[in-house]
Amino acid sequence: MMLLAGAGLILGSCTADSLEPTLTQNKTVEGSITKVDNLYSVLKGAHNIMTGAGYYGRDMIATSEVRSDNCFSNGNSGRFTTQGEYEQNANTGFIWEEAYETIANANIIISTDVTTLEGDQAYGEHLQGAAMILRALAHYDLLRVYGQQNAATSGNLGVPVVTEFKGENLDPSRNTIDEVKAAIYNDLQTAFNMMDSAYDGDKTIVSKYVAKALEARVAVYFGDWSRAVSASEAVINSGLYSIVSADSYVSSWTADGGSNVLFELAFTSADNRGSNALSYIYRFPEDAPAGYGDIEVVSTVIDLFEDGDVRADILGYQDGGTRLRNMGKYPDTAVGADNIPLFRYEEVILNYAEALLETGGDALTQINLITANRGASAYTTVTKDDIINERRKELMFEGFRFDDMMRTGMDMPYWGTAQNSLGTLSYPNNLFPWPIPIGEINANSNIVQNADY
Amino acid sequence: MRAKLAWMLTPFLVLCMSFSFGQEKTVSGNVTDQNGLPLPGVSVMVVGTSNGTQTDFDGNYSISASNGQVLRFSYIGQKTVERTIGASNTINVQMEEDAQALEEVVVTGYTSQRRSDITGSVVKVDSEKLGEIIAPSVDQALQGNVSGLTVSATSGTPGSTANIRIRGISSITAGNEPLYVIDGVPVSNTNVGTSGAYSSLSALAGLDQNNIESITVLKDASATAQYGARGSNGVILITTKDGKAGKTVFSINSTYGFQNDAITGPVPLSAANRLELTAEAYFNDGIFPSKAEAQDYLLGASFADWDANGRPEARWDQVVRNKDAVIQQHSFSASGGDEGHTFFASLGYMQQEATVIGSDFERISGSLNFSKDLTDNITFSTNNQASHMLQNAFLENSAYFESPRTVKFFLSPLVQPYNEDGSINEFGGSLPNPLYLTKNNTAENRLTRIVTNNGLTWDLTDNLTFGSTFNVDFQLYNFRSYSNPTYGYGAPTSGDASQYDRTNVFYVFQNYFDYNWELNPDHRFKFKVLQEYQSNRRYFVGGAGQNFADEGLEFLDNLGTPTSVSSSYNDWYVGAYMGLVNYSAFDSRYVLDLSFRREGNSRFSKDNRWGNFWSVGAAWNLNKEDFLADSDIVNALKLRASYGVTGNANIGLNNYQSLFGYSADYAGEGAQYVDTFGNEDLTWETSNTLDIGVDFGLFNNTVSGSFAYFNRDSKDLLLDVPLSRTTGFTSQVQNIGELNNKGFELDLNFNVVDTEDFGLSVGGNLSFVENEITKLPLDPNGEERTITTVRTRIETGQPAYAWYMPTWAGVNPDTGVEEWYINGVDGETTTNFNEAEAVFQGGNAIPKTTAGLNLNLRFKGFFLNANGYYAGGHKIYEGWHRYLNESNAYPILAFQGYTSLLDRWQQPGDIARNGAFTTSATPWQRHSKYLYDADFMRLRSVTVGYNVPSKALEKIGLTKLSFFLRGNNLATWVKDDNLLFDPEVDISSQNGTVDPGETGLETPPARSISLGVNINF
Repeated sequence: MMLLAGAGLILGSCTADSLEPTLTQNKTVEGSITKVDNLYSVLKGAHNIMTGAGYYGRDMIATSEVRSDNCFSNGNSGRFTTQGEYEQNANTGFIWEEAYETIANANIIISTDVTTLEGDQAYGEHLQGAAMILRALAHYDLLRVYGQQNAATSGNLGVPVVTEFKGENLDPSRNTIDEVKAAIYNDLQTAFNMMDSAYDGDKTIVSKYVAKALEARVAVYFGDWSRAVSASEAVINSGLYSIVSADSYVSSWTADGGSNVLFELAFTSADNRGSNALSYIYRFPEDAPAGYGDIEVVSTVIDLFEDGDVRADILGYQDGGTRLRNMGKYPDTAVGADNIPLFRYEEVILNYAEALLETGGDALTQINLITANRGASAYTTVTKDDIINERRKELMFEGFRFDDMMRTGMDMPYWGTAQNSLGTLSYPNNLFPWPIPIGEINANSNIVQNADY
Repeated sequence: MRAKLAWMLTPFLVLCMSFSFGQEKTVSGNVTDQNGLPLPGVSVMVVGTSNGTQTDFDGNYSISASNGQVLRFSYIGQKTVERTIGASNTINVQMEEDAQALEEVVVTGYTSQRRSDITGSVVKVDSEKLGEIIAPSVDQALQGNVSGLTVSATSGTPGSTANIRIRGISSITAGNEPLYVIDGVPVSNTNVGTSGAYSSLSALAGLDQNNIESITVLKDASATAQYGARGSNGVILITTKDGKAGKTVFSINSTYGFQNDAITGPVPLSAANRLELTAEAYFNDGIFPSKAEAQDYLLGASFADWDANGRPEARWDQVVRNKDAVIQQHSFSASGGDEGHTFFASLGYMQQEATVIGSDFERISGSLNFSKDLTDNITFSTNNQASHMLQNAFLENSAYFESPRTVKFFLSPLVQPYNEDGSINEFGGSLPNPLYLTKNNTAENRLTRIVTNNGLTWDLTDNLTFGSTFNVDFQLYNFRSYSNPTYGYGAPTSGDASQYDRTNVFYVFQNYFDYNWELNPDHRFKFKVLQEYQSNRRYFVGGAGQNFADEGLEFLDNLGTPTSVSSSYNDWYVGAYMGLVNYSAFDSRYVLDLSFRREGNSRFSKDNRWGNFWSVGAAWNLNKEDFLADSDIVNALKLRASYGVTGNANIGLNNYQSLFGYSADYAGEGAQYVDTFGNEDLTWETSNTLDIGVDFGLFNNTVSGSFAYFNRDSKDLLLDVPLSRTTGFTSQVQNIGELNNKGFELDLNFNVVDTEDFGLSVGGNLSFVENEITKLPLDPNGEERTITTVRTRIETGQPAYAWYMPTWAGVNPDTGVEEWYINGVDGETTTNFNEAEAVFQGGNAIPKTTAGLNLNLRFKGFFLNANGYYAGGHKIYEGWHRYLNESNAYPILAFQGYTSLLDRWQQPGDIARNGAFTTSATPWQRHSKYLYDADFMRLRSVTVGYNVPSKALEKIGLTKLSFFLRGNNLATWVKDDNLLFDPEVDISSQNGTVDPGETGLETPPARSISLGVNINF
């Protein structure tokens, strides 16, 4: 009978509690943000998403370069040929998912009520401002990749602006280009007002003046020249940054946190990017073809540089001197442990110069600040073409050229794996906007696909 | 929890009583069968004691006992006889056949049932059949032997996992693997490998198939509802061998054989082919005005060395081949027992080499099954299986440049494997020499698995039994990789290494009561109530790093730069209560089975954790009706039907909460990010299954078989519902969607001749299953949220993962350009791939029709067994064709194509399978050209052998001696000539690391020929 009683007890003892799983390495989203420091942790998490190979860790920059007239893909590992040969379709992945992941985490920070948190609330607001910069940057990246501004089939669709995590509408439509632009400007203005430079630390976290640098970049892209002037001036007048000198231009790429850097994404050797590193797609790990090294420089690009221009030293040759390469930017090929600058002071100056030119200001002084520090001849007069050309030389391999060509309406030459010409795409063109990924189209019928995909 | 554990162990602490004996004498006698022939091996036991013996070869026995005690004579297939000891010292017994006892008893889950009492679709495969396939993991042997069951190996790499599907697929996102039960206890038999890139390792490979008595496959709800939430995909019950009372039997089973790839596979282009095709591509692209000029250029450039050296062809496929790879297994077992205890003990060893260099599998295993009557109503049993496996794995689940399996498709035949002095050529380039890497790099999977299953049964009364079971399945897994610092991918970082350890501990507790109640002899009831609790805890830790000071150091401690540390702890729990009723009327003329199970699972939130599962089954044995009782034609005829609800909870852990993950780091500091979208409403996926069947035996079982129809509706599917990516997530698990599987199964066996000297039987099975998605979630605009990839689409009205892609229209004979149908079906064609509409191509990767055929022939001591398998009605897709089987730059410039590419367009008018060669790198374009009918037939096994007659064996003291020659996968027929790869491909996505139903670069199945011997003494 004892045993029967015992067995009865066993049978009755299996309650819901004994089925409760343990969470050891996760925390629930609801209720786990209690301190300002938790916001900082999520902010770092958002930065980390941007370092992924699918975003600024490689594809954002590499794709922009291979689609421009700077580079082509030699297909050594089968990568970036589709992008370089303009054969992309809705299955060719790009930054859509990564950018919206960044936005999701930024939104968690922004929507937190800092007054409920332990810690310095002003610092909490500063972190929220930083999150708004990341949200604006991600929306801008999405807009320049997927927006219809460069399409032949006229359209004004941008990308969905998302400002809530797990909000009411999980199936948004595409906002218009102007709406996205307005949201970006709004975020940047709010961020700038919320942030306090006193809280800015390492350059690997977005800081107050990045808001203005990004505003200038976006304004230049859309030709909002007076906004570009004032935003650039805000950065310049902060006095926090300077142009790197000719002597240290090449070596500045081997060091982190230079005086010319406003914001760079952190990459350490522990991150071990391995074969997915940006550097690994720019060059072979040894002289002969090996590894990836698919993105090769168009051989005539070297002719852009006059003698003595230190920026030519960024380029070099591999495979017995037959392949022109980016050797100097992101130089750590094996591990990919170089930080990747997203905002350099030189770009701010170039934005400023161009905006001044467009608004009748003194562009010459500004552009000669660049040439003077690069071992290049000073300009005596300056044209729009000069500025675009100077931008190409200064910002080469950093993912700017494609957008510069787009916003100035240039036609696009492109090449096959042996640098054999595949022709020139005339501007505007339906191949310039990237297709919205098929996964988005299938999940969300509110999304309209770009023409011809 | 601790208190509960103590209570659960209570039954084991019950001590047995002791017994005293009266005055003893020796009783002896002779036991014969109903024909008066001596019966050896009859158990003779003094009732109420543990005193017992067995009759010898001539049926004689002697035993010590006292007057008034009762002797019980028992033997399989004979009615048990009891005799009270009187004055005489001699008791002779003639036994009678027991028709009922002769009927096979089948394990049907938590209980065992006589065949005629079974109301569901249950198939039993015995050890002899299982033994016909020599493989580390016993699941491979089920192919072709169980109707409605398909096996697809993930790889031919020794020890890797296989996917089993029973009656189609019941879930889109949640798992489709059946539940494995070893000796009554649910266990996990999944892949234990930690890296999706390296070869998988099956936990099931830890079981030596020589220790397995039988495997029973449960297919319908009446059988599987007992397993509640894990029953939807079918249940595979593994019963290990027990000892039988009597003289200890020693058994030696040994096979030794050689293997090669079952089919040749694609043949790589030669250097001469490559020269021709490259020159042609240069000409086609207008880079040279003629092919001859292009060829001259190449002979002066990339082909110059090759030309100067006398045009040597590097045959990488042959260089890396491990011709006649060894496969061997040896097992030694002892079994026996006396009245009161039985045992089975074994030792086993298995070794298998892969058919390419660099990979092999080795296992040592031991088992001990022991059962002891502690008192005359309490029995303790323990079944223990322990094994240690070592698998030298390699990177195979994608196109890894370093893998010896893939090298023939990537390395140019211009590159020589060896230097002139015979040393390994350490050439540069993207693709390192695998000869060096297999020798100097390491990737190994190790698994130590111990399954211990301990039970106590206590016969409280004649009709009431209490039982308790405690099971531990302990799996200790280690993975280690090392890349040397000198050559290959490890070189730029001065070597790298990683190590991962995972410990899985499963506990299962079961407590139950069995009660048999006889209202009267015509109405018998069997009841069972059971409580079960299962827990799984998984501990994982690992690290990786780079930079060794010297060669030959392979472990983490010597690394200069640690690059990652990872760890995890996971747990899940299942609790259940269950009741079973079996009612049998008029000696099983009518049978009714009822089951109910209430089960809770930690994968769901508290409010949705518990689910109810049930089944009803009924059988009518018509042969027991008066009108058939005396039939000369029909000796067995049963109609059966069952209906029930089962569940599936096979999804990831902790999916119901919105979660932050902390596995990120940024700038050397910890960081967090939202990594689970969450869904509080998550709950069970359920399946309602109807099963109707007829089992029959005609002409005294000369013809026997069964036919079954099934219809399974699965609803509330646990589905990774695609989300708009603007949420930051790609999908969310929801209970949405419905699908249906229906089909039939036919099993037939025909005993053509069955005499003492000659026997011939032919058997077969045929099954057909149709899968259709019937409901999917809608988006706010009322449009179905299909899940579309570049090859498949999930949409209502179609089977799950139906092939979906543009339709290839062939190569335009005038231009040499490949074209597709604009509307996806017919009519106007286009050369712009993006303009071609994707359409359903018919079917998916799961066979609709499967069939098995077996033949057994014996003449005197000789025997021949053969087993074949057919699968059809499905399609598979060729992976990697962009790089290896398209007339673009990759197969001729970067990698290495197949000779199938020689069939290409060269000039206007050519009808060719491939378009004109080009030096362009065409993008990924997946279309119907690379989708093949996958129908195939395979001769799974052929065994010829000889049993040495028992008369001859007596002299040398053996009871059994047989020799045999066994061939596996000797012949394969494939319907589609363009399908160059083995037709048996992985149908599971393996958590997204491979594409389901796509041919990959994994090891194909092997063809083997082995010589074996079985000895009993």
